[in-house]
Amino acid sequence: MIWTCIRIPRPHQQPPEGITAGPVSEDDLLHWEALIQGPEGTPFEGGVFPAELRFPKDYPLAPPTMKFLGEVWHPNVYPSGLVCISILHAPGDDPNHYEHASERWSPIQSVEKILISVMSMLAEPNDESPANVEAAKMWRDRRAEYEDKVRDGVRRMLGL
Amino acid sequence: MEAISDDAFNVPDSTDWIGTPLLGLMQVEQAFRCHVCKDFYNSPMLTSCNHTFCSICIRRCLSVDGKCPLCRASDQISKLRGNWALREAVDAFVKSRDAILQFARKPVTATPTADLPSPKRKAVQIDDGERANAQENKRPRMSTRASKAKSAETTAAMMRDEIDVPASKDAMDFEPDDGLVACPICWSRMKESQVDKHIDKSCPGTPQPQRPTPPRPSRGNTNNDSHVPPNPTWKPSPPPAKIPERLPALNYSVLKDTALRKKMTELGLSAAGPRQMLERRHQEWITIWNANCDSARPKSRFDLMRDLEVWEKTMGTRAPTVSRAANMGAQIKDKDFDAAAWAAKHDTSFKDLIANARRSKMKADPPRPKPEPEPDSAGGEEDQRGAIIIDDAAALPPQRQSNYNPNLPEMAFVDLTEPPSSQPELPVPAAPAGGQGVVGNGVVPGQQPPSPSTFSSSSHPQ
Repeated sequence: MIWTCIRIPRPHQQPPEGITAGPVSEDDLLHWEALIQGPEGTPFEGGVFPAELRFPKDYPLAPPTMKFLGEVWHPNVYPSGLVCISILHAPGDDPNHYEHASERWSPIQSVEKILISVMSMLAEPNDESPANVEAAKMWRDRRAEYEDKVRDGVRRMLGL
Repeated sequence: MEAISDDAFNVPDSTDWIGTPLLGLMQVEQAFRCHVCKDFYNSPMLTSCNHTFCSICIRRCLSVDGKCPLCRASDQISKLRGNWALREAVDAFVKSRDAILQFARKPVTATPTADLPSPKRKAVQIDDGERANAQENKRPRMSTRASKAKSAETTAAMMRDEIDVPASKDAMDFEPDDGLVACPICWSRMKESQVDKHIDKSCPGTPQPQRPTPPRPSRGNTNNDSHVPPNPTWKPSPPPAKIPERLPALNYSVLKDTALRKKMTELGLSAAGPRQMLERRHQEWITIWNANCDSARPKSRFDLMRDLEVWEKTMGTRAPTVSRAANMGAQIKDKDFDAAAWAAKHDTSFKDLIANARRSKMKADPPRPKPEPEPDSAGGEEDQRGAIIIDDAAALPPQRQSNYNPNLPEMAFVDLTEPPSSQPELPVPAAPAGGQGVVGNGVVPGQQPPSPSTFSSSSHPQ
């Protein structure tokens, strides 16, 4: 089977709870869509966050990128939706030198692990290397306001 | 190429065991799968740090960053050692997997003592599971036994079968009727009278390839094997009659273009394309070739060439018809690339990008404190060339850089060399929230527009 096909793990039969993922179409296995439930006990609870994953052609040597398709107010998510999390960064590619090599991308990672990491990132932001500086400040200094804003976003996303 | 569409949705996976009485086999199967490609180990190799990967997987990983993907200990390709016992274990498991799984999903309820299944009857027996079930209902004495226990027993019997079948046939194969005897150490066949002398003098001390192995279909994918019924003539690890020689790695940095091209022509590879492409092609060929040397069933050179072809198509290094962007990337890296003309031609898009970048920079603090090169340098052709060279050196992976650096020349460059799939990402980081579509539309007039499908998906209406 061809290189890309071997490398792209198929959607898990028994995915972790709150996560689904799979290729958008059969024609382009390098483009996936994922749905992530907001973790319980966080302001994201109740939300379902669509995201797209784009795999490089030399996956898994290089990590995919992940982008939320809706608005996500979070210190580690760029305003564009792009997710900034150490597991998606190749070792040696850390502009801020905040991340340990052990947390970085390695070819042994899988889509499942990425999505689990993103879920826990939603619950526990890392404000050391914020992608969204405003959100990081708000999370650090005005937690209640941050949570309200997140909940607002969830409600808007659900069309309530 | 194989029928991806069929395979893609019917790929064996360790989770297949969930919901069967043989849940424990999930872990067994996981242990037999490569951490990198998640497929069954294909020619498993041990690293210096005692981790195991498929030969081709670890060779590719090490050639990129020289570290074990599991523990990140430094390692070298030349230090890899074959994990042959695991190779046999995986082969054996893969061969019996389908039967075991089928069995586990449809437990046979006939008692194993009633009639132990002979190898020939095995397939029939599984199909007859339902009938056996019906029969059982007529015999109340049987129903007192827990069906789970029964199925476990039958499983055990079946597994014995699986193991016995090849072994017994093997034993028969072992003694060809040629009037010779085998050396007990190296298995070389010789006249009986020569054995003593042979052991004293010329015996190599380890089993040597003896029996000419029948040609078998190339094994690109272990999944194919699992659809084949257990092959009774299968022998554990038949060493290939002729082991192809491994190719040495090249130090590309000391190799001139012409020398590299010559080497590639000698190897029968295409020597077309820019330097970087040549190096990658050569590297991949060495990887494919040497991994094949580790295989129990080496493929033919022709098959390997086809693998390289597939790799090349997949990576888009030679696909001008498919990807205009890749083509332009090659163009831009060409020695004779006319930077001035390029700058003039795309002047408007560059200016748009600069304007956009400035606007978004004013609206929001840049997300990262990383110092950004002056956007002004964008127009200067010198800087463009400079950016290209720097980026070449950084090589892998260009994507991250493009995501975080809204700097113009680099962006123009990355845009062209990168796989087109990542293109829609490019304008994003500079854009304020929700501005992505605007930037995307504004930026690209002179360049490759993202394909309609990818673009619409990136402006997903959710």
